[in-house]
Amino acid sequence: MDPFATLGIPRTYAVDLVALEKTHRELSRALHPDRYVDAGASARRAALTKAVEVNEAWRIVRDPIRRADALLELGGVPTGEEARNTASPEFLMEMLEQREALAEAKQARDLAAIRRMAAAVEAQSAGAERALGEGFARGQAAELAGKVAELRFYRRFLDEVSAIEDELAA
Amino acid sequence: MALFEIFDPKAPPRPIGIDLGTTNSLVAYVQNERPTVIVDCDLEALVPSVVLYEKGGAVTVGRRAAMLAPEHPRDAIVSVKRFMGRGADDPETLRLGPYEFVSATPGEPNTVRFKVAGDRVVTPVEVSADILRTLKAQAEDELRNVGGAVITVPAYFDDAQRQATKDAARLAGLEVLRLLNEPTAAALAYGLEKKQNGTFAVYDLGGGTFDVTLLVLDDGVFQVRSTGGDSQLGGDDMDRAIAHELLAALGFDPARQTPQLVRLVLDEARKVKHALTTQDEVEGVVPGHTAVKITRARFEELIAPLLERTGVACRRALKDASLKVGDIDGVILVGGATRVPAVRRYVAKLFEKEPLADIDPDQVVALGAAVQADLLAGEGQRDEVLLLDVIPLSLGIEVGGGVVDKILPRNSTIPSRARATYTTQEDRQTGFEVHVLQGEREMVAHNRSLARFTLKGIPPMPAGMARLEVTFDVDADGLLGVHAKELTTGIEQTVSVKPSYGLDDAAVEQMLLDALDHGEDDLERRRLAENRVDAHRILAATRKALVADADLLESGEHARIEQACAALEEAARGESASLVHARFEGVDEATKAFAGRRMNRAIARAIEGHRVDAVEKSVEHAKGVEEAHAPPR
Repeated sequence: MDPFATLGIPRTYAVDLVALEKTHRELSRALHPDRYVDAGASARRAALTKAVEVNEAWRIVRDPIRRADALLELGGVPTGEEARNTASPEFLMEMLEQREALAEAKQARDLAAIRRMAAAVEAQSAGAERALGEGFARGQAAELAGKVAELRFYRRFLDEVSAIEDELAA
Repeated sequence: MALFEIFDPKAPPRPIGIDLGTTNSLVAYVQNERPTVIVDCDLEALVPSVVLYEKGGAVTVGRRAAMLAPEHPRDAIVSVKRFMGRGADDPETLRLGPYEFVSATPGEPNTVRFKVAGDRVVTPVEVSADILRTLKAQAEDELRNVGGAVITVPAYFDDAQRQATKDAARLAGLEVLRLLNEPTAAALAYGLEKKQNGTFAVYDLGGGTFDVTLLVLDDGVFQVRSTGGDSQLGGDDMDRAIAHELLAALGFDPARQTPQLVRLVLDEARKVKHALTTQDEVEGVVPGHTAVKITRARFEELIAPLLERTGVACRRALKDASLKVGDIDGVILVGGATRVPAVRRYVAKLFEKEPLADIDPDQVVALGAAVQADLLAGEGQRDEVLLLDVIPLSLGIEVGGGVVDKILPRNSTIPSRARATYTTQEDRQTGFEVHVLQGEREMVAHNRSLARFTLKGIPPMPAGMARLEVTFDVDADGLLGVHAKELTTGIEQTVSVKPSYGLDDAAVEQMLLDALDHGEDDLERRRLAENRVDAHRILAATRKALVADADLLESGEHARIEQACAALEEAARGESASLVHARFEGVDEATKAFAGRRMNRAIARAIEGHRVDAVEKSVEHAKGVEEAHAPPR
């Protein structure tokens, strides 16, 4: 499946999400199951299939990691489990240290320190996204798997921060 | 007034909206384009969600049951919603509450079972069905003929809890048009009446659950951007905090009390809470004990941690939606607990905005559900109003090392589907265990387990050779189906995720049969009636499509479809429900290709329409620039 084609946009990493959200809403308006309550089973199923496809495409394209994965796949670069561990050893060491620091801050219930770390990782994550945008624009898909792996680590780190924030607040 | 109305056996079925709440439930419908709550003979709209089971089999629901509850702490089930879809061993089940539970015998599903009226055993699904039956009867008094129902659930309800709610409706003989998230319903009630576009937060602090939902309202499309909350936080917790305070002041250990006393103190605590909305100081009186003074300041101190928990969820929802506090155009208050002044102050401070409360926060959800029911039943302007909902919690499966791989992240718009492929870890592995989980945490143990099944019969291969594809499908009600397939051999297996401690289909069907006086006959007649209604709808829609998109028909296709329609028409005049059903399939088969072509046209138009829109805007913009630079004439 080509999510970009489903949404009627060119295959690029830099996507105007605001405009695309509007397109998604229009497509949803045309396809939503609620509009086919009266229709026969075949029309309902056809609408549902398309609605699912459109929602899947939107979910992929609006997510920086899934969007990159989709572009890599469409460019013939392998993704998935085996391709995920392509980050550099230096990067992995750095993340390992950050995770340890996070665990310590959690132990100490130091919310301020946790938020500082999160802000730093968010900045790194934004930087990686910019690099991906530039890389894809230059057509260097094959060299970008590592950057996507980095994004994945940032995401997981930030998810963990969210979970810790919830835990400390409860 | 009702006395003078003439009963009309052919009254058209009217769709209803139901707010099945933790503390109170309501039913509403749309009358002359205005959603209206249905009141009982005492002109009361709120039905306390209390069911009393008496010896001898009598079942009492609502105000009378609530009144009698203190005398029958074990037989009157209060706040049953908290037990929906939960396992008997769930720690939440065992929290402060006076009930007697029956433990499941080994091999039986691990459902919560209340022991009531001496020897009767009821499940939360049955208790909820009793509440729904009362609401249905109340609606029938007013409307003569009740059609389908939209039933609201907290956005944070997980799959098991939603399924349990649907089961309860089936048991009560209600056709569920849709399960609708409560905050979305509230926005629907507001949006339609006020016609506002913008980004809204719905802050819903009910009896037992807290939800926050951020949504964008845009020309009739309500798009949920994110939802968050806590399914174990609400006004009941405020009552509990006051109850602990009362018990402690009277010198009791709150953990070691008789059920009667706990119920009495909880009821008194609720009264104190209500009185503190308007008074600065209230005396809590437990009969037979000295009065305990509670000030509003002390009450606000007691509930501060609860409010802070709602704040955490709100900030998380904002973050998920990539929104800042300043982006929110309005905050809608839902739930009786939002009447507490401290809650309103907290919300105003959190969102830097006075919250909206024009519609009664106890009624707004039921009113919105009625609006949605009206739209789904085709009596409103369906083309103009749509709800785009999301899944509230991430769905994933277990991968190596007890880690969860998220397949569908929370806040994905539904209906939706996602796929992921995995491989075997060991040589000659012939089975593949798929463990489906719901939640946000990284480790399996911290998430909720929804289902577990094993894909068997994979031929022995070296590790890493097999390709297992797992597909998650979430329908428009937010219910999950999981499909697993081994790609090299094509072996596949599908499960629809049902709560492992809920009721299975057969059990619900049996209860349904038991509840009907004439069992199978009635069921058959009901099926025939339903199939006839469906047949007429389908025929009308199909023929309309044949005219509207006549140019998409291939030669001979029109005749084939018309033939299938005629066959269905004939069956609908007969007496066999199964024949009508078979003819549905005939029409379905004949229209399959045509429906696909029509859908592609709808998509092309939607994308095209938006582009034309955008072009027009930029043309307008350019015009403005031209005019600004035009020389004065």
